[in-house]
Amino acid sequence: MDLVQFAAGKTLSSSAVFLLVTVLLLAAAQRVSTSIKLFALQSAIITAQVMATAYTEKSAEAWVVAAMVFGLKVIAIPSTLLWLVERLKTRRAVEPTISGAKAVFVAVFMIFLSYAAVQPYALESHIAADALSSAVALILVGAFLMVNRRKALMQIIGLLVLENGIFLAALATTFGMPLVIEIGIFFDLLMGILIMGIFAFRIRDTFDHLDVTKLRRLRG
Amino acid sequence: MILLLPLLIPLVGAAVLLGFGTGGRARVLALVIGAAEIFAVIRVVLAVYFEQPLQFGRFLRADALSAFFLLNLALVSGLALVYSFDYLQHIEGNRFSSPRWFYTLVFFFVFTMVGVCLSANLGLLWIMMEATTLASALLVGFYNTRGAVEAGWKYLIVCTVGIAFALFGTIVLYLAAIRSGLSPDAALDWMALMESVPRLGGEISLLKLAFVFVIVGYGTKVGFVPMHSWLPDAHAEAPSPISALLSAVLLNCAMYTLLRYDAIVARAIGASFSHTLLLGFGVASLVTAGLLIIVQRDLKRLLAYSSIEHMGIVAIGVGLGGTLGLYGALLHTFNHSLGKSLLFFAAGNVRQNFGTSRMDRIGGLARSSPQAAMALSLGTVAIVGLPPFALFVSEFAILSEAFAQSQILVAALFLATLSIVFGGMFHHLSGMLFREEQSAASTRLEWSEALPIAITVLGLAWLGVHIPAGLQGLIERAIAVL
Repeated sequence: MDLVQFAAGKTLSSSAVFLLVTVLLLAAAQRVSTSIKLFALQSAIITAQVMATAYTEKSAEAWVVAAMVFGLKVIAIPSTLLWLVERLKTRRAVEPTISGAKAVFVAVFMIFLSYAAVQPYALESHIAADALSSAVALILVGAFLMVNRRKALMQIIGLLVLENGIFLAALATTFGMPLVIEIGIFFDLLMGILIMGIFAFRIRDTFDHLDVTKLRRLRG
Repeated sequence: MILLLPLLIPLVGAAVLLGFGTGGRARVLALVIGAAEIFAVIRVVLAVYFEQPLQFGRFLRADALSAFFLLNLALVSGLALVYSFDYLQHIEGNRFSSPRWFYTLVFFFVFTMVGVCLSANLGLLWIMMEATTLASALLVGFYNTRGAVEAGWKYLIVCTVGIAFALFGTIVLYLAAIRSGLSPDAALDWMALMESVPRLGGEISLLKLAFVFVIVGYGTKVGFVPMHSWLPDAHAEAPSPISALLSAVLLNCAMYTLLRYDAIVARAIGASFSHTLLLGFGVASLVTAGLLIIVQRDLKRLLAYSSIEHMGIVAIGVGLGGTLGLYGALLHTFNHSLGKSLLFFAAGNVRQNFGTSRMDRIGGLARSSPQAAMALSLGTVAIVGLPPFALFVSEFAILSEAFAQSQILVAALFLATLSIVFGGMFHHLSGMLFREEQSAASTRLEWSEALPIAITVLGLAWLGVHIPAGLQGLIERAIAVL
């Protein structure tokens, strides 16, 4: 049993590093499908983190949450998005507004920023600083992906990364919200992806492209 | 049990409509379900008013504040349903764009907003607020034109990101509550939080952080400047009954959530922090939207900016605080929802008759369709805050609170903006009424459209002259809750 305890401890302490790697890769990713797979990988790391927390805190609720994260964010949502990419038959490239190399620099800057921002709170309240800073980094980079990428699908992925960050923040600070609330949030997330998918089809059908920067009829 | 009905009826109703709402049946079915829903909501309001707050399980609760917003919800959604009866006739019925889907989504939308008002738990409140966005996004994109799809996408993305920030704020508040010793189940319960306010007072920095995220997050849904970018698009592109629901119920529901958070934070760490933020956002929204009203070219966008302006006024009332400020703010949400529904109903009729809502293509209304012109003018007179209509009373209350606290700058900006809005609105109105270039393709105003318009006009005039004792009592009890 000591081995499992050891593994759980290692997962908690090292997952922040893996998450930051996925963030940097996301900033550099050139294809929509790559970004989706990176999101799935990121969610898998978070699943491991939830499982480690469930083990160390001996919380049955957290095991349910881990199962939901795995089913929803590692399997259901990524496969739905990959199916959408197939069906929409758009060009594969993500078409960023600033190039991949610069985007990685922006992401690195945001990681620094999140460490700097979290430090005072973490010192004061005995929270794992690494986990919380990676959560804030995910939130910032998710928002950055949303404004940097032109594709409607990439905006969805940015939103999902942002949501992962918020989930991680709750996990790092309070071991997650009560189970009923978590289930409700997951349900909203699933419905949100469904409706965004419907809109992705509509944007393609009415505009013949998925480039949201060209959606600028409504102004003023 | 009495609390469960207003949530179950629209859900079951939406399922029934989806299953059996084909052909012409959806419109009649919707009126029946709507009547049942309004009856159920009014029953909750009366029970709270005459007895005491209701509780159902751990997650549902209704007190006087919820009852006040539920009354508003029941009234406006009833009017919007009646108005939709003939308004929907011209819709052909594509996928997702048939009367059947329209009413299914409307009842789901109503379900989520009732859920917002009845949530006892701040987590459930967040879930319901996010669900309002999801339920109404397809309604905003209902016409499936380029503009509608764009507005729907923008609405979905901007509000979901905004609401995500509110979730972060909620988590921070949860953390503060856990650290001050509440159990995980009680740490998101509004009543439990209000009762343990003295203990929460130790977590000043966390509470401030939480409130900043919450006001940015839910403020996006209220339409505060600078997070308002979704609002004019969504209001302009949605079908008119939906614009009325968005403006008159959804924005109020978002304001209601801010009131709940404001109450906790203001009691725990003193009112100055949260009230200053609200005052700042309120003044920014009022002034910016007031100036933008002058340059609008589209009738429904004009009305949308006016909604931002009025939400700014409400935020100023809450931010000033005091009995008169809060009283004015609550009364103003009610009055504004009557006035704005009236205007959106009238604008919907104009848009149907002219085939556009661009104001430079609308002219000669006074001659060609006098009823619509009358409705539009009465609505404009009411919304700019002229007596004898009700908005004058609530704006006057907020203004006198500002003077009483000698917030001269706020009062001056308030008065200046109101006069600019006054000029701008009447300039646009007179153009549409008297310019003699265009005439409408048809000038029909069906009874189902005229009836809600008449009810709102009467309501505005009545509340302007005399506020009934029941409503007065409800508002006073709602203030006592805070």
